Amino acid sequence: MIEVSALSKNYGELRALDKVSFSVEKGQIFGFLGANGAGKSTTMDIICGCIGADNGSAKIAGYDITEQPLEAKRRLGYLPDVAPLHDDMIVEEFIEYAGQLRKIPTNALKSRVDSTIEKLALGDVRKRLIGNLSKGYRQRVGLAQALVHDPEVLILDEPTEGLDPTQIIEIRKLIRSLAGQHTILLSSHILSEVQNTCDKIIIINRGKIVTQGTYEQLSGSMESGHIYKLKVARNGSNALTTLGRIGVSNVKSGSTPEDIEFAVSHSAGDNVLDDVAKAMVDGGFGLRSLTRKTRSLEDIFLQLTK
Amino acid sequence: MSGILAIAKRDLKAYFASPTAPAIFWFFLLFMGFFFNNFVSLFMKMANQAPMMGGQAPTVEQLLKALFYNQNFIFLLIIPAVTMASFSEERRNQSLRLLLTAPCTSLEIVLGKFISATSLMLIVLVASAVYPLYTVFYGNPDKMMILTSYLGLTLLVMSQIAFGLWISSLTSNQFLAFVFTMFGLFLLLILNWMAPNIGGGGLGESVLKYIANTEHLEPFFKGTLSVSHTTYFLIFTGLFLFFTNVTLDSQRWR
Repeated sequence: MIEVSALSKNYGELRALDKVSFSVEKGQIFGFLGANGAGKSTTMDIICGCIGADNGSAKIAGYDITEQPLEAKRRLGYLPDVAPLHDDMIVEEFIEYAGQLRKIPTNALKSRVDSTIEKLALGDVRKRLIGNLSKGYRQRVGLAQALVHDPEVLILDEPTEGLDPTQIIEIRKLIRSLAGQHTILLSSHILSEVQNTCDKIIIINRGKIVTQGTYEQLSGSMESGHIYKLKVARNGSNALTTLGRIGVSNVKSGSTPEDIEFAVSHSAGDNVLDDVAKAMVDGGFGLRSLTRKTRSLEDIFLQLTK
Repeated sequence: MSGILAIAKRDLKAYFASPTAPAIFWFFLLFMGFFFNNFVSLFMKMANQAPMMGGQAPTVEQLLKALFYNQNFIFLLIIPAVTMASFSEERRNQSLRLLLTAPCTSLEIVLGKFISATSLMLIVLVASAVYPLYTVFYGNPDKMMILTSYLGLTLLVMSQIAFGLWISSLTSNQFLAFVFTMFGLFLLLILNWMAPNIGGGGLGESVLKYIANTEHLEPFFKGTLSVSHTTYFLIFTGLFLFFTNVTLDSQRWR
């Protein structure tokens, strides 16, 4: 649905984007993750045709944004980092205006506006001036503007930025509910947000794509094996030496001698865990728990962008 | 096409939702009234003195011509106020992205903005007709001359708006847009007088004189319609709308 190949962009001396390529399939939610200034907004502006790229191309639903901009833009809804609103307009009027700009036929316009207002729960404020709305409502009007023409592709630049926790949860729910009918590209510098809402993740740093894949793939690719946490009831230090003999690596104790961490390489096979459990029970250490430690996106991000 | 109308309608509404339109009407009509009052009392004085001094009494057409020339001066101040926000403000508060990501060509955007500003100024021109109408009620002016003068003023306003839009598309600072538009329009007005000094006679002078808009207004104020002078204004307008279009489009490859 979205195909980006080898995008490059310079701002004077600064290389903002360096050969960025990725593609998003239909119905997916794609997370675009990077620190501030990593090149997220620049990429999105190029995909939407607001600015040009020095090199490379971006295609929306098969239409190149520079070659066939009108066809591509017809299939596109964009919510930039600052919602493009007119403060001097009434909510309803503004959404209607956005619909007219997106060439919705006049006879369908009224119903499209009404259904968009309903979908985004803007009914209470539909007659209010946009300049008087709170940040959360402004963001929703911004989303309404991007959604009114029912685009195939939705591009959202930090949609939950500056909202309070309840609003963040609402917007996230809304975005999840839009998946399937729309293909969504979402950027964020909040890692948990991407982890919770997105099917696939791209990490970008200083204009370059560092890695991309599903969250499982990313966390899996980070290490040669899995890290496990083991908790025993007594004699932690003895348990440590016992483990050292079984064939697991990186054995170390955590905050107390009874909390133990160890790594199992992929080549070690599945039976190692059975051996560990057996050794703990047989040795009389009192096995309390044995769990796999999942790496948070924060860990992956920090390690990759170091 | 529907894009042009949507943009034009929104922008025209926005002029009236903000203090811009009221301020322009207030400013324009106040100054016009001031000039008119002055000219009429001068006109009366001269008309009374003429028989005694043995000179020719002034005509109503001369009074109106002076009024129309002064309108050009007032436009110098209000056209920049009308056009300054059109692109600058949208760029500053990021709402320009709404237009840039909509399936509209940049020409549609430019024409939409042009139509809204021109419509506002047409309403201003209609309001200003109260002064010539006054002379129609209390005197006997050449009505054809009033009509052609208004056509000339409309063409003038269109060319000035096109110039203002171009300046506004170059900057995200409204104040700069205002100042540079005013400076440019002032230059167009005085170029006629400066031409002999700059051009030094010959071709240079005639080119500069051709660019100045006062030369082209004169025939309209005399009550004549001329194709060549109408063409000047239309070409000027078209050229600057084209420049605006290029500026807007160039962001996509800058």
